[in-house]
Amino acid sequence: MNSGVVGYGAYIPRFRIKWDEYVKAWGSFSPRGVEEKAVAGLDEDVVTMAVESSVGALKCAGIGSNQLNGMFFASTSALYAEKLSSSTIVASLDGPSEIFLADLGFSTKAGTAALLSCLDFVSSGRGDLGLVGASDMSQAMPSDSVEHGLGAGSASFVIGRNDLVANVEGAYCSSLEIIGERYRRHGERFLKDSGIGAYTEQAFNQALTISVTGLLTNLGLNAEEFAYAIFQQFDGRTAYDIGRKLGFKDRQISPSMTVTKIGDSGSASPLIGLCAVLDIARPGDRILVASYGSGSGSDAISLVATGQLVERRNKAPMVESYLTQKEYIDYLTYLKFRRMLGA
Amino acid sequence: MREVAIIGAGQSKFGVFIDRGAKELFVEAFEEALSSVDNGIESREIQEIYVGNLGVGGGQLGNFASMIADYAGLAGIPAVRIENACASSGFAFRAAVLAVQSGTCDIAVAGGIEKMNDLPRERLRYWLGVSGDTEWERLAGMTFAGVYALMAVRHMHQYGTKREHLGMVAVKNHKNGADNPKAHFQRTITLEQALNSAMVAYPLTLFDCCPITDGASAAIVCRADLARKYTDTPIYVLGHGASTDRLGLFEREDFTALAATTMAAEQAYKMAKIQPKDVNLAETHDCFTIAEIMACEDLRFCKKGEGGKLIESGQTQIGGRIPVNPSGGLKSKGHPIGATGTGQVYEIFKQLRGQVVKPSRQVSGAEIGLTHNVGGSGGTAVVHILSVGEKK
Amino acid sequence: MAYISIPTYWKTLPQRYSLIGSRCKSCGTINFPPRDICIGCGKKAEYETIRLKGQGKIYSYTIICAGGAPPEFSEQERLGGSFGVAVIELEEGPRIVAQMTDCKPSELGIDMKVEAVFRRLYEDDDVIRYGIKFRPIRAQGLNAETRPHGVFL
Repeated sequence: MNSGVVGYGAYIPRFRIKWDEYVKAWGSFSPRGVEEKAVAGLDEDVVTMAVESSVGALKCAGIGSNQLNGMFFASTSALYAEKLSSSTIVASLDGPSEIFLADLGFSTKAGTAALLSCLDFVSSGRGDLGLVGASDMSQAMPSDSVEHGLGAGSASFVIGRNDLVANVEGAYCSSLEIIGERYRRHGERFLKDSGIGAYTEQAFNQALTISVTGLLTNLGLNAEEFAYAIFQQFDGRTAYDIGRKLGFKDRQISPSMTVTKIGDSGSASPLIGLCAVLDIARPGDRILVASYGSGSGSDAISLVATGQLVERRNKAPMVESYLTQKEYIDYLTYLKFRRMLGA
Repeated sequence: MREVAIIGAGQSKFGVFIDRGAKELFVEAFEEALSSVDNGIESREIQEIYVGNLGVGGGQLGNFASMIADYAGLAGIPAVRIENACASSGFAFRAAVLAVQSGTCDIAVAGGIEKMNDLPRERLRYWLGVSGDTEWERLAGMTFAGVYALMAVRHMHQYGTKREHLGMVAVKNHKNGADNPKAHFQRTITLEQALNSAMVAYPLTLFDCCPITDGASAAIVCRADLARKYTDTPIYVLGHGASTDRLGLFEREDFTALAATTMAAEQAYKMAKIQPKDVNLAETHDCFTIAEIMACEDLRFCKKGEGGKLIESGQTQIGGRIPVNPSGGLKSKGHPIGATGTGQVYEIFKQLRGQVVKPSRQVSGAEIGLTHNVGGSGGTAVVHILSVGEKK
Repeated sequence: MAYISIPTYWKTLPQRYSLIGSRCKSCGTINFPPRDICIGCGKKAEYETIRLKGQGKIYSYTIICAGGAPPEFSEQERLGGSFGVAVIELEEGPRIVAQMTDCKPSELGIDMKVEAVFRRLYEDDDVIRYGIKFRPIRAQGLNAETRPHGVFL
């Protein structure tokens, strides 16, 4: 592919709730390996989060918003079922009025789908520079254990052909029709999941096996040749389970496991993990990113860090600085912030 | 320009009246104004009517003046509604004075009305925010209390004014209001109560804020050389001044003064040919306690920045050098937005004629009184100087 | 419910979303929000747009508590508690009034350094109204240079 990452940025909201607040409230905390998760403030949503991560990406890339030719936005928790979120983001960045916009959703795989679509947009020559934003803060019923792990966050990427901080070697995608695993009907506010652990695990394994092994085979690579392997992160363990099955070591996976501190950030999850990795990767490091979306499958992408990464990543806040900027809230405040108590 | 005098004034009780609307309240005030004319006056002698009203609740927004004139038995004369937020009836009074001064008519009535208590809280809050800069200040999350709070924070920072000074204003005005049968609140409060009440917009607490009040007021003005036909003790309008300032507080240079007040006062003193020290009592616009502190500075009753010292000195109490808000002010007498301006005129009219009901509230030997009425956070302001004697 | 019309809001999106100011070509004053008659020289002058950086310090502030919030923000106050509102003196000169966010009201003080962030203000008729709020500039994290910093810089 002749297009790649020119700049990147993440955003994680300030508020956190610890796992033991859930234990106090419900007697248990469902997701394994998650210590605390990020909570968006009352004045935040997927659009405002994406604005901040996009500002970071533009600074890292060293370009002005007026240079963008396209924006691809991904979320499973956008507030409008009809009205683009990308137009609001572009407007707040004081972007151009001649720009291609596409909003994706419907699956936590939407983030990588947006990334691949933007890479194609630039690669094909239809645009020179594009912006990708993946942002999520999904909700479920408070009494539902799937709710426990749902966090918040956003990741953005500037895509271009020159001055890359990471090249994209290739991608391989799997498509699976998975019914009833994790889903949300139109008009419903809260997502549901099947509650069948084995079903989820099997779907996840199947999708990722196809996409990741397909990618490695296509590129003629082994797992050892990757410095980092980033997977969709629902909790603190599943990524390690699949990673090991596919031949990766824990140390390749752990640097991207932001889920332990921010929870499940949906379509942004593997991409926030990518930002965390790009913050520390060395030139030449090969990086795997593999998403998973219920009902949809998986996208696996291979990137290689360039020499320009080292200098450019200092131009915008790193994931670590957002992780350390935090304020703890209790469970009652959490319910208020998530508008789960009528006001 | 001809001289103008007030020959009668009236005011309804200020308070909460579920059973009376704007029209009824106005008639109550107007009837009292008519009967306060010592030698009698017929309502058909009134030639023009100016009524101040913000229109809280959005009742009769169009042709409000026509409705009032009609209900008061005045249909057939020119009637105008004047809206300058909380200074509506102050400006209505100015308009009536100008009409007589210019020779357009000989006798006019100026009044004001507001109904605020027949709305649900949420709806009311909308109206409480409409007189500042709606597009920017309100959308930044403030109603009035917030804007005056921004002024208070600067005043405290620049001049060392304390929350205690704010509380002292509330205590004084409640003390005065307790002796005013027409006041909304007729009970005294302590400084501790004032300081410990619920915070509305830091540093202003509930007791730093005027209440939500229903009420009406009216004053009858006429050509000075005609006044003696109606009364032996007309009260002369010695001078008046009015001005505007930037609507949004954030666009003003100085948050610790209301430039509209300063300019209006300048004009009024000049026209009346008096100095601030010649004023014997004043009804100032204390929508919030900080507003009275600033008003005393802007009206030059004390030096800039010394408003806190002034209230602390006790000189603005009844019996002091310059009693301020002997009626109880907006704080205790109440603030039916459109009715406050002519309500202030009513108080000064009664004071200067020695007709205050409770002797403890009567300022003795007063000859010159001042009314000061502000719209919103100072977007408009109007000052009138009233006197027992004619202009020298 | 309060009402700022959609077209009124929409007309000022460049200001509300992106802090676009208008510099008067006659006298150089930056008008924010924009005005047909320049706030500096009083002329109906021509303007060039300038994107303000969103960095500034607090000139005055207050803390809005229950009872002090307009209806647009009463849900926010009920769910999130008291919030700060400040008049901020921007680096480039203009003063603007905005809500504070991501901070406890007790942190507020005159001269505190703050930065602009894009946030959701309120909803009216199901239409989300976005705008600018400010948060304190906090130097922290492992690397002071990598602290989360200004949206518009």
